[in-house]
Formats: sequence, structure tokens, C-alpha cells
Amino acid sequence: MRQILLAGMLGLWATTAMAHSPLSASVPANEEIVAELPEQLLLAFKAKMRLTRLTMTHADHDSVDMDLSGAKGFVTQYAVPLQSMGSGIYVIDWRGLGDDGHAANGTFSFTVQ
Amino acid sequence: MPDVWVFAAIATKFTLYLGILTASGTVFAQLMFQLDRLRNLAAAFAVVGLLAAALSFSLRGANLTGDASGMTDPEMLGLLWDTAAGTALMYRAIGLGLLIAGLFMGRLGQWVSVFGGILAVWSFDHIGHVAGRETALLDIALTFHLMAVALWIGILTPLKRLASTVPTFDVAISVGHRFGIVAMVTVPALIVAGAYMSYALVGTIPLLFTTDYGQALLIKVLLVGALLGLAAVNKLRFIPRLRAGDMTAAGHLAKSISVEWAVFIAILATTAVLTTNLTLPT
Repeated sequence: MRQILLAGMLGLWATTAMAHSPLSASVPANEEIVAELPEQLLLAFKAKMRLTRLTMTHADHDSVDMDLSGAKGFVTQYAVPLQSMGSGIYVIDWRGLGDDGHAANGTFSFTVQ
Repeated sequence: MPDVWVFAAIATKFTLYLGILTASGTVFAQLMFQLDRLRNLAAAFAVVGLLAAALSFSLRGANLTGDASGMTDPEMLGLLWDTAAGTALMYRAIGLGLLIAGLFMGRLGQWVSVFGGILAVWSFDHIGHVAGRETALLDIALTFHLMAVALWIGILTPLKRLASTVPTFDVAISVGHRFGIVAMVTVPALIVAGAYMSYALVGTIPLLFTTDYGQALLIKVLLVGALLGLAAVNKLRFIPRLRAGDMTAAGHLAKSISVEWAVFIAILATTAVLTTNLTLPT
């Protein structure tokens, strides 16, 4: 059920995806303003990807590494626990390896009111 | 990652091209033109290629973590090993290993070295822009393109050596003449293969002028044009004059080959930027 929900939510946001990024969608989406921080950050990639580093930076805090211990192998969708740091802008930096051997990385941000 | 990492990746890729193509080209030329005294040259560039292949793989690890820790992180390197990056490294290590081993195995070893050189060149079919297209014709075009380039690079140093001492002028004339005949087939085919790959990767002529990738490709084309001009002067002027007994032509030939080397260095550097730091136009 969780997987279906995840796929549905990501599908909804896919239309706002950046054209050339390997990341096809995220929840929260890039530049989205949300009332409160969701429990998980959802990421969907166009091709199978192994995330190797995911960091979150909040205006008032140092950058923190997000927990990728639950992610194994090359997959297209990730659900990573989010740790609330209060309202403000959250910047997410991700790095990963495509199953074609190419490294990829990207950045996006969202705002919690 | 900071610019220093991009620079390191480009410099390593350039060294990888130089090592693999020069080592492979030297053993191709050795077998094709029955040349002597090339063991140290081929072995040295094969070692350079091996070191660059290992460093290039390790730098990919740094790209995965965003810092130097990834270069030696067993988890990152293990992940990479299971992808095309690992396959390419394996072909490079085995290919260059065979190439070096063949250099110490006598007559039969020449074939072992050539096989190793082909394997190392073929490694480029497994990762990069061409590999990403998964088209057999593109793979064949890339392999042929690189083997023809390697042979051209491989003939430069032995031919320059032969044209630098009076007792070997006759051999220089013979090798230069025979390479000229081979090049009449390989060079046009090399250009056709290069043009086909450019068309397949870039797509349209306007993108050649409006994208960084296209512009870098145009620089490469201009450099290849300069190379063809130098080769034509060698074939049509210096080799015939040397053949006619004009000893001064040998000095001109040696200088012209040095300039050819410099242009090849510029071409390999441009290619390293193309394949490392520039994305294909879409």
C-alpha cells in the first residue's frame, strides 16, 4: 500500500520535473512551499540509481547526511526519513551512481512555512 | 565537486587516452611494419595507461561521495566495479597487462601484445557517450576510429627515430611509404567513422555551433584538418624528397612528426574535455 501511495504521489509531481536531470520527481518538489515537513523525502529517478550521498541543509543548521541505510541496490524510487529543523528553506544535495556506471548529482530545495 | 576535481578528471582521462592509444598503436605499428626497439616505449605507455585507468576509476569514487574519501572507499569502489566502469577497468587492466606480457614473449608475443592493445581500445566501447547509445554500428565505428588513431600515433615515434639517423634513412623511407599506403585506407575511414559518431551524438548541424559540446567537436575537427595537412606534406613532399636522396628532407620529416605529435596531444586533450566535462546536446 505504501509503495502504491509512493508511486501515486511521485506520479503527481512528475510533471514539475526538471527536463535534463536524472531526478524525475521529488516530494516535496523543487521550490515547493509546504505547511509542515513530511516524515519522508520521496525521490524518483528516470533510470535505476544507487544513491551514495544525500545531505540536507537548513538555514540555521549545519549540513547533515541523511540516512541511506535502508536503500540497497539500484532502484528508481527512494523514501528517506526527514528530520525536522523547523521552518525555512531546506536544500537537498544528492549524489548517486547509475547502473550504466555514470555518476550523477543534483540539488533542489523546498520551504517549510 | 570543486573545479580541482573536474580538472583532475580531465587530466586523468587525457593521460588514459595517451597511454592506451600510444601503447596499442606502438604494438600495432611494430607488427604491421616489422619495427624493432619499441619494447620500452610500448611498455612505458602501457604502464601510464594502467595507472591512469586505476586513477580514473578511483576519481569516479570521489564523484560518488563528493570528496576525496570516495577514492578509497571500498563500498563506493565496489559499487562502481559492478557497473560498466568496472567492466571498462577490467578490459583495460587485462588488455594492457597482455600487451606488456607480449613484449617479453618473442615473436608470438607480438600477436599477444596486439590482442591486448585491441582489448584495451575496446574498453572505450563499454563506458561513455557512445556506450550509452547501445548501437552496434556506433560501437564498431568507435573501435575502428580508435584503432586507426592508435596506429597513426604508434608510427610517429619510430618513424621520427628512423628519420633522425643516416644509417636508417632507407628504413624510414620504406616505413613512411608503406604507412602512406595504409593511411590512404585508414585515414578516410577514420574520418568517416568520426563524422558518423558526431552526427549520431550531436544530431543536427546548428547544435555544432550553439552548444559547448558541438563547439569542442569543431575544435577537434580543425585540429584533425591540421594533422591531415601535415601528413599530406610528409607523404607528398618529404618522403619523396628523401627517396630522391635529399638528406635535408629527413630533418624536415622529423620536425613535421614532432608537430604532428603536438597536434595529437591537443586533439586528445580536447577529447578528454568533450567526454568528461561536456554533456551531449539534447
